[in-house]
Amino acid sequence: MTDTFQNNTITSFPDITKTEFKNINKLYLKVMLINFSLVFMLFLIGLIVLHQQVFTPEINAFIIAIYLLFLIVSGSILGYLLASFAKRKYAIREKDISYQEGLLVKRLTTVPFSRIQHVETDEKPISRIFGLSSLSVYTAGDSSDDLVIKGITKEEALQIKEFITTKINE
Amino acid sequence: MNNSFDFSNFSRQSPKGILVIYTNLIYKVIRVTWLLLFLILKDFSKVFSIVGNYIYLGLVVLLLLLLARAYLIYKNFQFKIADERFILKQGILKKTTTSIPFHRIQNINFKQNIIQQIIGVFEVSVETAGSKKTEIAIKALSLEKAEALKELISKNTQFNQHPTEKDETKPLIKIGIKELFKVSLTENHLQNLVLFLAIILGFFQQIEQIVSSLGDTALFDGFIEESTNALSASFFLVTVLLFFLTFIALMSSFVKIFLIHFNLTTYLKDDSFEINQGLFTKKTTILKKQKVQNITVSTNPLKRFIGIYFITFKQAVSGKVNVKKNKLIRIVGCKAEQVAIIKQRLFDATDVENEEKKYPDGYYKRRMFIWVFLFITILYSFLYLIFQQIEILYSTVFVFPFIIFLILKKVKKRFYKITETMLLLGSGLLETHHTYFEIFKVQNIKMKQTIFQKRSNVADLILQTASGKIKIPCIQFKDAIEIYNHTLYKVETSKTSWM
Repeated sequence: MTDTFQNNTITSFPDITKTEFKNINKLYLKVMLINFSLVFMLFLIGLIVLHQQVFTPEINAFIIAIYLLFLIVSGSILGYLLASFAKRKYAIREKDISYQEGLLVKRLTTVPFSRIQHVETDEKPISRIFGLSSLSVYTAGDSSDDLVIKGITKEEALQIKEFITTKINE
Repeated sequence: MNNSFDFSNFSRQSPKGILVIYTNLIYKVIRVTWLLLFLILKDFSKVFSIVGNYIYLGLVVLLLLLLARAYLIYKNFQFKIADERFILKQGILKKTTTSIPFHRIQNINFKQNIIQQIIGVFEVSVETAGSKKTEIAIKALSLEKAEALKELISKNTQFNQHPTEKDETKPLIKIGIKELFKVSLTENHLQNLVLFLAIILGFFQQIEQIVSSLGDTALFDGFIEESTNALSASFFLVTVLLFFLTFIALMSSFVKIFLIHFNLTTYLKDDSFEINQGLFTKKTTILKKQKVQNITVSTNPLKRFIGIYFITFKQAVSGKVNVKKNKLIRIVGCKAEQVAIIKQRLFDATDVENEEKKYPDGYYKRRMFIWVFLFITILYSFLYLIFQQIEILYSTVFVFPFIIFLILKKVKKRFYKITETMLLLGSGLLETHHTYFEIFKVQNIKMKQTIFQKRSNVADLILQTASGKIKIPCIQFKDAIEIYNHTLYKVETSKTSWM
């Protein structure tokens, strides 16, 4: 009995790779840039304070190199953020929700609706300016690694939340 | 049937519970203040001459206060069972009511520490997946009442009520002293030694902190310095130390195993396992089959030689997994046929065992080698920078072959077998672990691929379960996708309760 069952199903699994993934909202790139520049400014101010107040002359001899290194690191982080933005995609199928991201390390996560414990949408201050929300999905157990989709419009987030909630209660 | 007890109204625990709570409170106070007590006792005559009889008075007042507290805790502790729920009221000033539906209960524990054994009462605790702590712990119940409670809860939690026609009184596994001796002898002594040393180190740190805060470290430092000098001077001492460490390692294995697993007996029930063990603190765990997320059958070369295994049961946990590590339920010293019975009781594992082993791609071995050698290179450069002695590099002659051996061992033990319903995962370094997992219990699934992995066309799969992660590293991308799709299909079409 198991044999026939096996033969039937193997060809007909829904394929995750053939699923159409949707890009997250373009506006979220702006949110990311604003967040990045805030952090960047903070570090820059910190570095300037260190330069003027704390560093000894011996260290200050290399100060140009230090600033340069800082700029290169920040620049590459920024470059990575920009380049990997297009890789942030999500998909909702009839029975599960998926999210993928990453340029150097590609991650794909899928959570079946039947295992979801609760859904949460929240708006961070900067996202709110652009009318964006993030959607978090929680399962039982060690839920540190569950799925979060950042940067979708508020209406869409609420719609998905509504959709999942009805699916959970089925 | 001894269900003559009425649990439907609020009732208190046995009055003997006051004694149990009282000793527990005293123990807690001593544990917090033992160093202070130690210091006072050391200079007892000096302190005594100053404060004199007040010490006794203070002690008496403290004991009386604790007694009053114990009584109040007892007085305010009430529990009942109603509507398939376990309801508990407690708290002296802050009143708490806890209510747990039976079907959420993961396991029921019966414990007896020495005092509880002397006065003949049981501690009953109930655990769910919800919180890190034990939700309900009733400190003192008489045997009859505890039995009645156990029966009531475990009967009510049965979902498919089939009659108990089998004779369940014969234990499936009974580990006598001789077997326990074998188990201890074949333990991973090195691990136990490290564990023991960690405890000792923590202990010393605690002392050192107190001592140094009193500004009296000279003696302590002198002692350490002296012994290190002697150590480097004499080869003889090193040998003695080695023997001593071996002895300690053996002893810590024996103590650990005998304390926890003494008189281990396991019974099979209709829908649960009952595990009894413990030397000073006797503990009975009732483990519901349905709440078992996965099991791991482990052995090591020594244990395999005499044909014993240990089984670890994993249940759903909340929050970080390592918090509940001490709550892992483990049966040591099983024979192969007993392992087979337990497996067969939980799920049908024969198919998955007959499946052929699939190993990770060669990329896994390469990745491991690269990371480990990177780490070792950095370590050696640091050592060289610190000591400035080229002789350090001589040790690589021993270190490198050893590490290569370990990596090859680890790679060889990594495999997976997968069928329609089950996943069997092999892992381990010196020990061998086989994890059995039912695919429909997956919570979410993740695939990870770095650009290097992409070039070799492999990917990591991470199955998140209610009891933690299960990783299948570096398998062919095609296989990974297939497992991914298959797992999702299984989870989404299953109607069975998964936790």
